[in-house]
Amino acid sequence: MRNTFISVLIVASLMLLAAGCSQAPPAAVDAAKLKMFSPLPASMTSKDGGISADQVALGRMLYYDTRLSKNQKLSCNSCHDLSKFGVDNDPTSEGHKGQLGDRNSPTVYNAAGHFVQFWDGRAKDVEEQAKGPVLNPVEMAMASEKDVIAVLKSIPEYPAAFKKAFPNDKDPVTYDNFGKAVGAFERGLVTPSRWDKFLAGDQSALTEAEKAGFVAFSDAGCPTCHAGTYLGGNMFQKLGLAKPWTDTSDPGRAKVTKSEADHMMFKVPGLRNIEKTGPYLHNGKTASLAEVIGVMGEYQLGAKLTPQETASIETFLKALTGTIPEEYIKPPALPKSGPKTPKPTETD
Amino acid sequence: MKTLKLALLVLAVMFLAAQFVQPARTNPPSDPAHSFQAIAKPTAEAVAVLDRACQDCHSNRTAWPWYSRVAPASWLVARDVNNGRRKLNFSEWRLYGEEMTRIKKGEICEQVKTGKMPPAFYTPLHREARLSPDDIRVLCAGQ
Repeated sequence: MRNTFISVLIVASLMLLAAGCSQAPPAAVDAAKLKMFSPLPASMTSKDGGISADQVALGRMLYYDTRLSKNQKLSCNSCHDLSKFGVDNDPTSEGHKGQLGDRNSPTVYNAAGHFVQFWDGRAKDVEEQAKGPVLNPVEMAMASEKDVIAVLKSIPEYPAAFKKAFPNDKDPVTYDNFGKAVGAFERGLVTPSRWDKFLAGDQSALTEAEKAGFVAFSDAGCPTCHAGTYLGGNMFQKLGLAKPWTDTSDPGRAKVTKSEADHMMFKVPGLRNIEKTGPYLHNGKTASLAEVIGVMGEYQLGAKLTPQETASIETFLKALTGTIPEEYIKPPALPKSGPKTPKPTETD
Repeated sequence: MKTLKLALLVLAVMFLAAQFVQPARTNPPSDPAHSFQAIAKPTAEAVAVLDRACQDCHSNRTAWPWYSRVAPASWLVARDVNNGRRKLNFSEWRLYGEEMTRIKKGEICEQVKTGKMPPAFYTPLHREARLSPDDIRVLCAGQ
């Protein structure tokens, strides 16, 4: 009896030991390092008040409607493809008549929470941003706001949809309301990821390699600029902060402010879904994620990252890839053209 | 003895030659309206602590000490100031949005609370940068 008891005790001890060995205690990430980050909200709220379901539904239609471009071939979704993490994966995008834009199309996912819009921050929010590309001659190339309104009014169902979305407006089909509706839709474009679960306290949401990657990311100094809810999108920074950037053909924010102090200043891009939104930087000239990590280390931090550090940071960044809201982005049935809706001409 | 003299001579020549490699000691002009003080509106007590203990490395208002003109100290001081400004610059707060302002304020508190800032090598030469528990409380107010 006594022998059996001792045997059971030994076997039990060995089993416990084996269990202990196979499950190495998870490396806890220093809580102080995580304080600079926040999980994604369910939707990105507007300072100007709430948004209605009718505005979102209208915005979704407008986002996909190619009739708001001169040649009727382009919509917001052409360059900010919602099924491809909100980008087209081209260095710069093809707009009207195949003309190329001068900067890389940034993703629309999780963008409405950024403190300003466009690479140079020239729009204060997504509502203002949405009005830009429609009138840009190398993008959707509509001649004027008036022309856009004329197209919208010629499509019989749109005036009613605008009235529903903006019931207090006397004349709801305005270019501002076009921007507001598209913005309302974009405020729901969030892609929660395992990173958010981890921030909410689920230690198992990230692998040990990803946690080590976060520590590498943090220790290298990346969160000096890439912190917060979007790991970026909340400040401007000079490209070439530690080592001068050689290609200064695009002076960044200085183009807007005309101030020497803003030379080469760009909005710090957010890092959510960064694995899927290449090529990188304002000009889209850096192809791979590993490459851009090295470039950032060298030019922004003044540090040569080792291949191991770069690989570890890359492992962490890939954990920021979220889930696309398939239902929310489903292309809606677009209202039918009316007799007065312009048709594209051969020359367009 | 001869070797010692030669070695001293070589060192002296190197020291003199080093003085010709002077790093840039810049205080870039910046609009006071773009400063942390103007934008984030910290308390007067916090401003006093920041001005006293932090601004030499974290603003464009560096009071360059005499030894910042003597190599090799000059190289180290210039490197530290450049690094400090890159990480946090109270003169360039216009770059930060609301969320980043909150984050940076939290970081300031975290760094001083844990004794990471000011750096241990800095305070022996800059007694004014030593932070009392009261100073830390002032910097952490609202955090």
